[in-house]
Amino acid sequence: MSTPIVGLIMGIIFGASVVLAGLTDPDKIIGALRLKDFHALRTIVVFVLVGMLGTWLLGFAGAANLKIEPAAILALLLGGALVGIGLGLSGYCPGTGLAALASGRIDALFTVMGMLFGAHVYVLIYPSIVVPLERILNFGPVTLPQITGTSAASWIVPAFITGAAVLLVTRPGRGTMDDRKTHDERNVSLAASSRPSIQTSPAFATGCLGTVRMFCRWKNFLFLIIVLCLLVLQASFWLVKAGYVGVDGNTSGNNPVAAGAKTQTNETAGQIVSDPREAAAAKIEVPVKLPWKPNPVAFDITFERVALLLRVTNAVLVLASVLYALVVFFGLTVSLGGRFRGLNHICQAFYFSLVALVLLLPWQAVSGSIVSGAIYTPGELAGSCSTNPGGTFGEALVYMRFTGYWVSVAVILVMAQSRSRRWSKIAVRKLKNAIQTNTRTQAPASQQSEGV
Amino acid sequence: MNTLNAQRSPLPWWAAGVLLGLVQVLAVSLVGPLEVSTQFVVADAKALEHVAPEYAENHPLVSSKEYRQSGYGWWFNIGIVLGALIAVLHLRTWRVRTTTVWLQRNHNAPVLLRLIVGFCGGVFLLLGAGLAHGALSGQLISGWTQLSLSAVPFTITMFGCGMLVAYLVYPRGAGEDRRGR
Repeated sequence: MSTPIVGLIMGIIFGASVVLAGLTDPDKIIGALRLKDFHALRTIVVFVLVGMLGTWLLGFAGAANLKIEPAAILALLLGGALVGIGLGLSGYCPGTGLAALASGRIDALFTVMGMLFGAHVYVLIYPSIVVPLERILNFGPVTLPQITGTSAASWIVPAFITGAAVLLVTRPGRGTMDDRKTHDERNVSLAASSRPSIQTSPAFATGCLGTVRMFCRWKNFLFLIIVLCLLVLQASFWLVKAGYVGVDGNTSGNNPVAAGAKTQTNETAGQIVSDPREAAAAKIEVPVKLPWKPNPVAFDITFERVALLLRVTNAVLVLASVLYALVVFFGLTVSLGGRFRGLNHICQAFYFSLVALVLLLPWQAVSGSIVSGAIYTPGELAGSCSTNPGGTFGEALVYMRFTGYWVSVAVILVMAQSRSRRWSKIAVRKLKNAIQTNTRTQAPASQQSEGV
Repeated sequence: MNTLNAQRSPLPWWAAGVLLGLVQVLAVSLVGPLEVSTQFVVADAKALEHVAPEYAENHPLVSSKEYRQSGYGWWFNIGIVLGALIAVLHLRTWRVRTTTVWLQRNHNAPVLLRLIVGFCGGVFLLLGAGLAHGALSGQLISGWTQLSLSAVPFTITMFGCGMLVAYLVYPRGAGEDRRGR
């Protein structure tokens, strides 16, 4: 049924739907990317979930016309980055840009013109750049169920759970901004609620100022510790992966994460153990394989030393991450009690610090290979680096596990730190103003009483 | 400031999402998943046929049949513009607008800057869409509805870079002035 008239009708329906969804407003797209206005994000989540469910059901009826794009990973990463940059700059995507054009937006016209120019540039660079790029790490048109050997339902159910979690976290609630209001309405409501939020007692304000400063010092110190530990973690992976540190055959899966931790799951080619207790009982060891020769002249580092360093780093990292989240939570409670401004910043900081903590913790120690944290043990590192990963996909998985995961956690931690820094700036400024204001208003009164 | 008001969304997020999802399901049942960005390359291919026919004939992409015909996808994009126009006229929200609240709040910039930024954004959008074989509709939405592996790396870098760029270009919230209040 691929005819022009069907295309025109479908386009009309889609264009009207985009306008009704409010996605032609670039302020909403930019607001979503700035994590201020979640209307567009929630709409897209529901859009994807409904489409996913419907496509799956159509598949059962044999009525789904699918078109799976090839998974050329490098091209996708770069393409996604460029699309993200374009989205962040303009607030439009190709579809919403066309729809916004029809609603009278002149900036959308220029964005569409830019898209046409971008298409021309793409055509020009296609033979020399795009074609070679698409040959790198190209898995072809595959789906997630196909490549993992699982069913579609095993992906759709977690997708719904994840989508529901996103909707829950970003839901509009009492006291938060209703994202359907215009910006002017929001400003009016903000102004109406902008009564002085810091109590006028100078002693209270001074105490709060000291508390916030102490919170900042501890937060920054713990953040520094976490960053150093993360760098050590990543450096140890690259030292082993690049062959500067050889892996000897005595390393086993029994290296603890910290004192009292459970045994580590060992994954070798074709031998996946789901229960760490079974791994310990079976005394599974990392296969003896020495593809690299250590260089004692340039790097006097043995794997035993790296393993010891990793264990210490992991312990410090876990403690520092927990303390960091607690300190941010402390800042949140102080903010609530003192009724400071910038509550959304410290809330976001706390949320991000919690997410980073959850992603960091070594869940593989308790759940086996089901869930892994960004922290890895010496045994896991040795096992992954010394065995054959099983092709390009396996290699990519290794890098995603040890580096990609790490990058995600680092980004989330940086976001937590930037949010908390923004909150602390606002809080300190307001507290200083409150102290100065209180001092000025009380000084004339005291001078008058002395003159009597 | 009235002309800079962000638009109110006609539908709540859940209804809008369901509507768009059903449109996707309809498209998949009739023809295939939604995609928009490819037709910009088709438009360029048509222009090249007239301006540089020899180059177009020998180009590995433009010379293919998919980029020479004005079929379903071409008329789909035209339909988007028509459908949006119908909806906007029905809602009586058609109005000439030139800039965004976010840009005004953060930079108090002239309209020309917004147009330049929009143009540059469009260039990045289609370059990226070409590399990724789709943008939001074609790769993000359609990719995830089909559980395509390609959607995963695309989503990660798209949101990551999008959030970073938005934060750098629009650091202050739209509800705050330059003093952060």
